[in-house]
Amino acid sequence: MTRKRFEPSIVAFTCNWCSYGGADLAGISRIQYPPNAKVIRLMCSGRVDPVMVIEAFKGGADGVMITGCHIGDCHYATGNYRTQVRFDALKMAMESMGLNPERLKLLWASASEGQQWAEGITEMTESIRDLGPNPLKAGGAV
Amino acid sequence: MSDADIRIGVFVCNCGLNIAGTVDCKSVANYATTLPDVAYAVDLLFACSDDGQDKIKKAIKEHSLNRVVVASCTPRTHEPVFRACVEEAGLNRYLYDQVNIREHVSWVHMDDHDLASMKAQELIAMAVERVKYLEPLERKAVDVIQSAAVIGGGVAGISAALDLANAGFETHLIESRPTIGGQMALLDKVFPQNDCAICILGPIMSKVGQHPKINLMTYSELDEVEGYVGNFRLKVRKKSPFIDWDKCNGCGDCAGVCPVSVTSEYEFGLDTRKAAYRPFPQAVPNKYTIDKRGTSPCRIACPAHVNVQAFITLLKEERFDEALEIYRKNSPFAGTLGRVCTNPCQVDCERGKYDEAVSIRNLHRFLADYERDHGEIKVEPVEPDKKKKKKSVAIIGAGPAGLACAYDLVRKGYPVTVFEARKEAGGLLRWGIPEYRLPRDVLHDEVGIIEKLGVNLQTGTKVESIKELKAQGFKAAFIATGAPGSRKMKIEGENAKGVYHALSFLDRVNSGKTVTIGKNVAIIGGGNAAIDSARTARRLGAKKVTIVYRRSREEMPAIASEVDEAEHEGVKIEFLATPIQVLVSDKSVSGMKCVRMRLGAPDDSGRRRPVPIPDSEFKMNVDTVIIAIGQEVTSDALIEGLEPSMWGTLDVDPKTLQTNVKWVFGGGDVVSGGASAIEAVATGKEAAKSIDRYLMGEDLVEGREEILIPIEDIEVDQASMKMRYAPIMRTLSMSKRKTSFAEVEQGFKKADAIAEADRCLGCGVCCECEKCVEACKLEAIDHSLQDEIVELNVGTIIVATGFKVHDPLETREFGYGTFENVITNAQLERLTNAAGPTQGKPKRPSDHKIPKRVAFVQCVGSRDRRFNQDYCCYIGCENSLKQAIQIKEKYPETEITVYAMDIRTHGLGYEALYKRAREKGVIVVKGRPSEIEEIPETKSLIVMAEDLYTGARLETTTDLVVLATALLPNDDTAELARKLKVSTGEYGFLMEAHPKLRPVDSFQDGVFLAGAALGPMDIPKAVAYGKGAAAGAQALMAPGVFYVEPIYAEIDTEKCFDCDLCADLCPYGAITGTGEERRVMFELCQGCGTCSAACPKNAIDMRHYRKQQVLPQVIAAASVKGELVQ
Repeated sequence: MTRKRFEPSIVAFTCNWCSYGGADLAGISRIQYPPNAKVIRLMCSGRVDPVMVIEAFKGGADGVMITGCHIGDCHYATGNYRTQVRFDALKMAMESMGLNPERLKLLWASASEGQQWAEGITEMTESIRDLGPNPLKAGGAV
Repeated sequence: MSDADIRIGVFVCNCGLNIAGTVDCKSVANYATTLPDVAYAVDLLFACSDDGQDKIKKAIKEHSLNRVVVASCTPRTHEPVFRACVEEAGLNRYLYDQVNIREHVSWVHMDDHDLASMKAQELIAMAVERVKYLEPLERKAVDVIQSAAVIGGGVAGISAALDLANAGFETHLIESRPTIGGQMALLDKVFPQNDCAICILGPIMSKVGQHPKINLMTYSELDEVEGYVGNFRLKVRKKSPFIDWDKCNGCGDCAGVCPVSVTSEYEFGLDTRKAAYRPFPQAVPNKYTIDKRGTSPCRIACPAHVNVQAFITLLKEERFDEALEIYRKNSPFAGTLGRVCTNPCQVDCERGKYDEAVSIRNLHRFLADYERDHGEIKVEPVEPDKKKKKKSVAIIGAGPAGLACAYDLVRKGYPVTVFEARKEAGGLLRWGIPEYRLPRDVLHDEVGIIEKLGVNLQTGTKVESIKELKAQGFKAAFIATGAPGSRKMKIEGENAKGVYHALSFLDRVNSGKTVTIGKNVAIIGGGNAAIDSARTARRLGAKKVTIVYRRSREEMPAIASEVDEAEHEGVKIEFLATPIQVLVSDKSVSGMKCVRMRLGAPDDSGRRRPVPIPDSEFKMNVDTVIIAIGQEVTSDALIEGLEPSMWGTLDVDPKTLQTNVKWVFGGGDVVSGGASAIEAVATGKEAAKSIDRYLMGEDLVEGREEILIPIEDIEVDQASMKMRYAPIMRTLSMSKRKTSFAEVEQGFKKADAIAEADRCLGCGVCCECEKCVEACKLEAIDHSLQDEIVELNVGTIIVATGFKVHDPLETREFGYGTFENVITNAQLERLTNAAGPTQGKPKRPSDHKIPKRVAFVQCVGSRDRRFNQDYCCYIGCENSLKQAIQIKEKYPETEITVYAMDIRTHGLGYEALYKRAREKGVIVVKGRPSEIEEIPETKSLIVMAEDLYTGARLETTTDLVVLATALLPNDDTAELARKLKVSTGEYGFLMEAHPKLRPVDSFQDGVFLAGAALGPMDIPKAVAYGKGAAAGAQALMAPGVFYVEPIYAEIDTEKCFDCDLCADLCPYGAITGTGEERRVMFELCQGCGTCSAACPKNAIDMRHYRKQQVLPQVIAAASVKGELVQ
C-alpha cells in the first residue's frame, strides 16, 4: 500500500507536567489529529539538550517540536525560560546547517489544553508537509 | 553493555477495545518481536488487571527478561502500577518504560487504523531503544514531618483539618478571612433536607477553634512555599487586624463607635459593615478586625498630613464635634485654611478620577463655621508638663508657621511665648489676604485657640537678636518671620507713582490705610496675590482691572475657583503677555508697554517656559500697575546671629529645620522664600517635633519620619458609583461685592456638607479616627500593628480555597445592578437568613415589601460560552428549588416561577426537593428569559421568555427576580497554584492528578486538593473531598518516610570546570560547592534537568534521563519507520 502524500516524521519533546498532560487530555477528549508526531517525555522542557534536537534532524526527523508549560507556569519555576533561550539559539544553528528553522517549533500547552495540543500538532504536520522532507536525509552535508 | 545481556519484554495492552479498536495490537506485538534485543512480545487484554500483571511477571521469569516495555495508557497514571509489577517479579523498578498508545494513539487517530498501528510500532521501537540503556536505581527515603497545613477554612478545609487533627497530626489551618466557615456559613438553609446551615456548621467551627492539635490562623495568607514532599516550608502572612486578638473579647465596642461604613462582602452587598467588624456573630475566632488598607492619598498629599478621611467620615455621620476634633489634632486653622488653603489634597483625591474631587477644604470650613454658629470654640488650657515646665520655647513670628509650632508645643506641655512685631497675629493670613476671602474674626478666633491653650502671645514686640532670647531664659527658639517683601520686576518705570507691589498694596488695604488707585488697573502675575490684588482693586472702585500673565490659564498657580470668581467680578485676564516698560508721564503711570509670549519647552518647575514673540509689542492704557510676581525675604526678617543662605533666606537643615545655632530652628516663608499657608503650617509642626526632640535630648533625625503607607490598590466599586458633583456654594451677590469686603463664599449648608462628605470614597476603609482606641476598655486596639510572617514546617499541604460567585454586575445581565429588584441567589440567601439584613424576611430591595411574585432565572453565567464558563454550576437548580420552597413555606400565596434550560437534580434526595417544590405550586418553565424590563412606577419587573415545550411567548410581571449565578474559581487560585506548583484546568479551577482515580491528589507529591477549589460542588461533596484529602495526607505522613523518585542530577567533578552555570540555573539552589566539592543535593533537586542540558562540559547528567538514554530514543524516533499494516 503506497501513499502519495508525504507523511513527515516529527519528534516532539514534552515535559512531564504540562504538555504531556495536554496530550493526554487530547486523548481523553478524543480530539483527532495527525499521527506524525512521536512524543519523547522528559521531566521538563529545560532538559532538552540542543544536541538532542540536532541529533533528531541528523537522524532524519523532518520536524522537531519542543513543548512545555506556559512561561510563568513551569513546574520547575524557571526551566522553560531556558528552553526559550535555547530555542532561539537552535534556530540560528539550524540555518548554518542548511535547515529551514521553520522545522523547529516551540509549543506551550498546559495540562488543560488538549485542544491547543491537537491544533499545534496539526499545524506542525501541515507546515512540515509543505516544507517537504528533511534535506539531510538524502545525504546532504551536515 | 553487550547485546547478550539485554532481554526485553514488550507487552501490548488491548485495553479492551480502547486500544484494540483502533490499533492492531497483535500485529504490533508481532512487530515488536522483530526488534533487536526483544526476547518476548505479546498482547494482553488488560495489562493492568491482575491477570495481565501475572502474565507480565510470569514472562519476566520464563524468558529471563531484564527490561520491560508496556505499551498501554498514560504513564501519568499507570507507571507506578507497572513499576511495582516488575519489582514484584524481581526486576529493578526503573528498568521499565511505558509507551502511551491509548491517549497518544488509539484515541486520537481513530480514523486511520493503519497509521495508528504504525505509530504504535514506532513508539514501541523508540522505547525499546531507550530501555536498553536504563540502569537500576534505588528510591531515596525522606523523613516526613508529622504535620499538615490546610489552606482555606471553608467546610472542606474544616473537615480536612479536623480529620487530620483527630488522627493526631499537628495541623495548621490557614484562612484569608478573619473567620473560618467559608461560604457555607453565609447560607441560610442547606438542601435537600433544608436544615439550618450555621446550626450544623457552627459547632464544627468551634471545635476547630478549640482543638489542641489545630493551630488556627485566620486573616492569614500563604506568601511563599519552599521545600518538597515531607518537608515543606511555608511563609504565612498573618495580616494585621490592628487589634490584639489575645486581648479582644469580641464585645464589639469598637464597631459601635466606628464611623466608617462599607459594603459588607458577607451580606453580598445588601448591607454595610463597619471598618472595625466581625464577619458574623458565630465567627471563629470570635474577634474583631479593623479593615485598613493604608493612608488615603489626600492625607499623603497634604503637607501637614491632616487626617482628611477621618474628619469627612465623621462629618458624614453628623458627628461634627468629633470631626472638628480630628482636624484640630493637626492645627487650629479649620476655618482659616478652610477658606484660603491651596488644597493640594484635592489634587490627589481618588474621586477626582471619576467625576470631581471632594471639596475637602470647604468641608473643614463647614465644621469650623458650624461650631461658631452653635456657640463658642471650646478649648481647655493645657497644664504644662512637669518635666518640660522649665524648658520654655520662644517663637518669633505669629504667622501660620509660628502659630502651628506653638500649637503643637503647648499641647506637648511646653511653656511657649510667641513674639510678633505687628500689632496683630496671623502674618500673611492677616496682612496679605483680603477680608472678603478670610473674615478677620475667623482668624482671630482661631489664633485665640492657641492663646486659650496657654500660649503667651506678645504682639507689637520685635525680637532683634537671639542673644536677647537666651538672656530671657528660653531653651529653644523657632524663627518664622516670613517673607513680607515683594519681588521687583526690574523694568523701566517701576518706581513711578501709581505702581504698587502686591504685598505692600494688600498690607495697606488690610491695615485700613487709604490707598489711591486709578480707574484702569493692571495686575502683573498669576498667583493668589495677583487675584487678591485684582479683586481688591475692583472693590476700591477701579473700573477696569486687567491681569497680565505670561503663561496660559493651565499654568496659573492661583486657586482655580478664585480665578473664576475674579472673572465673575469683571476682572479681565490677558494671557501670554508680559510688561517690558511702565510708561510714565509727570512721574505718574500713563500706560504700560507689553510683549506677547508663546510657550516653549518646560522649565525646572515643569511648566512650559514663556518666550517673547519678536515684534509683538503692544500698549495698554492703564493708570495703576500692581506687580504680584512673588515674595522675598527682607533683611529685617533675618535675626542677628543666624546665617542666611545664598538666596537671602534663613539657612536651615532641610530635615530637622535646625539653624547654625543648635537651639534655634527656622521655618515658614523666611526659609522657603514664599509658600502656601498649609506648607507653613507643616514646617511649623516639623519644627515642633525637632524642638521637642532637642529639649528631650533625643536624636533629631532617627525615627522622625511619620510613615504613611499609601494604599496599593484603591478599591472603587465603579459599577455602583453614581456620578455626582460637589454642591454649588452660595456666594455674595455681585452688587454687594462692588463696594464691600464682606465674605464672598458663604460656606456649605449642613445638608450640602453631608452630601459632599458622602462623595468621599473612603479610600483607606479605616480612617484612623481612633475612636475605637478610646472605646476599647481592654486596650486591645493598636493602629501600629504590622503584618507578621510566620514560618511553618509541614509534611503535607491541603488546598481548599473554595470558589467565588459570579457577579452579573460586570455584564448587567438581566438588569442586575440597574434594576433594584433583580438580585442574586446568594443575596436572597442573606434575605431569608434570620441573621441577615432583613431578619429572615425576603423583603425586596426597592420598597422592603414581601414580594407576591418571584421569578428565578437559572444558569446566569453558567453553561455560558460567552464567558468561557460553559460548565454547570452543580448547585443552582437545587438551590433555587430550596429557596422557592422556603418562600412558599413562609408565604404560601407567593407565585413562584423558575425559568430554567432544564432542572438537574442528581443523586439521592434531590429529586424529592423538586417534587416538594412542584407540590407547593412552584412553576417550572423550560426556557430562560430573553429579557427583563422594569416598570418604573412600581419597580416590579416584566419577564419575557419562551416556553420551549409549548412554544408560547410569556410576558409575566413579577416583584422580585433572583438570578442563580455561576460558581467561579477564586481570583487568587492561579497565583496559589503557581506557588504550590500544582496545575489549573481549563476554567481556572485547580486540577486533580486524575479526574476519576486521584480526585484529591495533585501532581505535586504531598499537595492535596479539596472542595470547590477543584470545581463547583455541593456541601456533602466538599466535605467528602476534605476528608479524602485528609486521608491521603495521613496515608502519606503515617509511615514517617516517603520514597522520592531517584531522578536527580549527578556531577562528574573531573569534567567540571567551575563555570557555575548549573548553580545559576537551578531554581532550588541544589548545586553547592566548587571543584571537587561540587555536588547536587538530591533532597533539593527536583529532577528538571535544566542544568544538565546547559552544562558546556557534559559534566552533569540526569539519572533516568541521561543523554545516552534519551539520544537512542531520539534517533529511533527520527528514523525508525514502522511497516504499513495491510
